[in-house]
Amino acid sequence: MNEKKTFWQHLQAWVNGEEAMLHADEYIKKRELPRERNWIRKPDFQRIKANKGLYWFLCVLVSVVFITIMLTVVANLPTFGQPINPANNEVVERYLEKGIEETGAINFVAGMILDYRAFDTFGESNVLFLAVISVLILLKRDKKNIDAREDRETEEDERFDKSDHKSILKIGAKYLSPVIILYGIYVVLNGHLSPGGGFSGGSIIGAGLILYAAANGHEKMHRFFTFKTFTLISVGCLLTYCGCKSYSFFTGANHVGYEIPKGIPGNILSAGFILPLNICVGLIVACTMYGFYALFTKGDM
Amino acid sequence: MREIIAAVFIIAGMLVFVVALLGIYRLKYVMNRIHAAALGDTMGLGLVTIGLMILGKDVFHIAKYILIILFFWMSSPIASHMIGKVEMLTNKDYDERVHGK
Repeated sequence: MNEKKTFWQHLQAWVNGEEAMLHADEYIKKRELPRERNWIRKPDFQRIKANKGLYWFLCVLVSVVFITIMLTVVANLPTFGQPINPANNEVVERYLEKGIEETGAINFVAGMILDYRAFDTFGESNVLFLAVISVLILLKRDKKNIDAREDRETEEDERFDKSDHKSILKIGAKYLSPVIILYGIYVVLNGHLSPGGGFSGGSIIGAGLILYAAANGHEKMHRFFTFKTFTLISVGCLLTYCGCKSYSFFTGANHVGYEIPKGIPGNILSAGFILPLNICVGLIVACTMYGFYALFTKGDM
Repeated sequence: MREIIAAVFIIAGMLVFVVALLGIYRLKYVMNRIHAAALGDTMGLGLVTIGLMILGKDVFHIAKYILIILFFWMSSPIASHMIGKVEMLTNKDYDERVHGK
């Protein structure tokens, strides 16, 4: 029991980044540099470069080989714009003929990106999430990566922010930001009926949040949007997306035997999974947009 | 007839946009550039939208265009104001730059 506890403490220290620096100096003094082993003789580029004729010959040879390969590939592609190309008859025909029947979405783009190609959109959402996580790793302020000078600077910034009244911006944000956020929600919810969808609606919501935060300061923003909310929304939406699409995946991509009701195309509650997936994508995009703004301006949410 | 009037309005708006674009590239200082950019956002967009309103089919079309104009005429001046304010507060040579040598 005792040993286990120390192991746990070790693990905790290692996660917090303390263990790694424990005997680092002694280790650096004592360690022996690994001897260079030359198992395979590498080609000596300097010698080749010195030999001008051989160098030019190799350059031209490599270029010609690559140009030939690429031109051969291009020549074997089907001619662009021909009516008999597979991209022009099979895929489009399938989408146009069976799109409404299979996805239930009137907006074909939503039907494609969230039903036929939903894993692609899942990857895109993950890219956004990873981007905001990288920014978080680099820029988030906590007690370990901040010194007294930076602390004083942020304090000065905050005092400056508070003494500045910003009355025009505040009045503008008071009337504009609710309208912008409402419009973003409309775009997200109508993603399967009209042009729009998760990505565009989410960025509109994010813009509204940024306007509100710029006008009213981060303290007022913290009443309803903290770091915890951000984490919960991002991770929860990604997991919901993953769960929905795993369900489709394991039931054979067409929900064999366990149909999701498609509803009447054109109703707001229709199109199976597309509406919840749109909401998930929209929330992730909105959180990412606001997260970038908050992290770059203040280093905190 | 309706199309011709609408076309005149839209082309006038486009010309205003061209002038605004020229101004953004030609003027060298932030404050002058704000003036040029705001010209496109207010007058150019207004003229183009009026032209589209004349072409509009029913009341809801026109109402949507009015909403677009309202949104831009509220948000664009605020943005210009904030840019100008930041320039005034952060540029150390502001007085020298604006009020002559």
